[in-house]
Amino acid sequence: MKKGKPFLEIFASALHEDYRFPVLEIFAFLYALGTFAFANLADFRFASTEAMAYFLVSSLMGIPLFIFLILVFKNIAYGLGGDLEKGTIQTFLSYPLKRRNILTTKLLSALGVALLLFFGIQLVALIVLAPGVVLSNVGVVLLAYVANSGFVFLLTAIILLVTLFIRKGGVALIVGIILWFALGIASSLVMFIASITGSALPLQIVALLNPSTALSAHYGGLQLVLLNIVWEPTLTEAAFYVVGNYAIVAFVFFLAYYYFSRRLSI
Amino acid sequence: MSLILAENLTKHYGLVQAVDNLSLEVAEDSVIGLIGPNGAGKTTTIKMILGLLRPDKGQVKVFDQNPWDNPNLSSHIGVVHEKAFFPAHQNVLNYLERVCRIFGVPEPRAKEVLQLVNLEEASGRKIKALSAGMLQKFAIAHALIHEPKLIVADEMTANLDPLARSALLDIVLRLHKDEKVTFLLSSHILPELSRVCDSVAIMNRGKVWAFGELEELYEKFSAKTVRITTDQPEKLAELVKTLSYVENVSTDSRGISVKVTEGKEDNLYEDTPKLARKGGAKILGIESGSTSLEELYRQVVTQEGEKQP
Repeated sequence: MKKGKPFLEIFASALHEDYRFPVLEIFAFLYALGTFAFANLADFRFASTEAMAYFLVSSLMGIPLFIFLILVFKNIAYGLGGDLEKGTIQTFLSYPLKRRNILTTKLLSALGVALLLFFGIQLVALIVLAPGVVLSNVGVVLLAYVANSGFVFLLTAIILLVTLFIRKGGVALIVGIILWFALGIASSLVMFIASITGSALPLQIVALLNPSTALSAHYGGLQLVLLNIVWEPTLTEAAFYVVGNYAIVAFVFFLAYYYFSRRLSI
Repeated sequence: MSLILAENLTKHYGLVQAVDNLSLEVAEDSVIGLIGPNGAGKTTTIKMILGLLRPDKGQVKVFDQNPWDNPNLSSHIGVVHEKAFFPAHQNVLNYLERVCRIFGVPEPRAKEVLQLVNLEEASGRKIKALSAGMLQKFAIAHALIHEPKLIVADEMTANLDPLARSALLDIVLRLHKDEKVTFLLSSHILPELSRVCDSVAIMNRGKVWAFGELEELYEKFSAKTVRITTDQPEKLAELVKTLSYVENVSTDSRGISVKVTEGKEDNLYEDTPKLARKGGAKILGIESGSTSLEELYRQVVTQEGEKQP
């Protein structure tokens, strides 16, 4: 018996299930629509072209990140949760592949393709809409992407962990949506507390969970004027929050992998 | 050589003890039946053997290795789960060809196994479009694809019609005889197991209450038992219980099984017709010892149950 290709084949199988016609086509359309329709090219009278680049990227990412999150709910909470509930994962575990690799195939399909599509359309939008601003501020553009994606990645990691614990597709989906709303409400509440107390600490905590807060505060966006009253982080400090956020994301993903590989009874 | 060696396995689900200090050995080139009522712990035991569940206590070795997260074992084991699930939107033949590539088996093997389980006509269908019986056949084909040395099957014949069951048991017998495949089969359908198994483990309340070759078990549990077929089992059971040498009586819809003191079987043969006439019951047959796995199972559960705390 020659050596098989379990990783590639299970990945291909996951792709087939996650993106059967017309899922990929619909989401590609929504990504494109969300990217181009909500791009903010107005003259913001920003203090610098860096700030302009940052807020351009933020406007391009807003709706597509939400669409990405819908794909996360569909493919991880509902998809992976359903696979655990019904027993498809049990079938995959009878193949010659480590548990961690099985989880990787599922995540590569669920997130990898969604991210490729997301960044592909974003890249096209940047080149078409504002090539000059982008080329002169490549570092800021990259940092903006990393910072703005941080919260969604954190939510993705938490949804993955919750799905592995709950092991029921429908319930994981509901819990994920509740979690998303709860974090949104908590974030607004913290900003309100910061504005009435004048303390930067609540904002710094929020920035660890959502590092775009720190970057927005740094560039002093119109919608975050309130924040500048209490907190004006430097670019290095903002970058620190980005790193901190990704460390948390990595830790939650590590927990999910550890639980799936070492503890999860199926 | 033992292909499966489980020692003192214990598993709890919250407060419920699903498996209690269970030990089991499956020797190479054997067909072992795992029987027991619902909730006996059969599926939990099988899941621990397959490395899908971690035991709370004890250990299990398959091919002398720990089965938890051990891909090396997958090439040697074929698995049929009680509720089989596969990626629903894929085509039957395409998915089996994919499984061939997963195991490094030539793709034509996919058609071979579909023929073996008589499912060629469904090869173009989506998996989600298969009926319950077809899905079960598909699961069996899936388990056979890489020609494993050991097949672990939980309720393998569930959802199959009698003809398909019989054909499947023929496959089991043929694989065992010709290719020396070892089987661990759990089932509720006892006559089937008695057709293919050389040994059985009878489980109840998370424990193995009896384990051994069928002949040994019949000898051990049924020697002093008389089976009486009657039209009125309940009434006859009441009457037979009054005999001083009767130790235990169990009833079912077709008759009663009577355990008697050693050497008193002939007395029962003499007394029963008299009691039946007195009670207005009709005796349809009397035979000594168990003649079926079902009867053996009943005896084990009755006799061992009396010993349990």
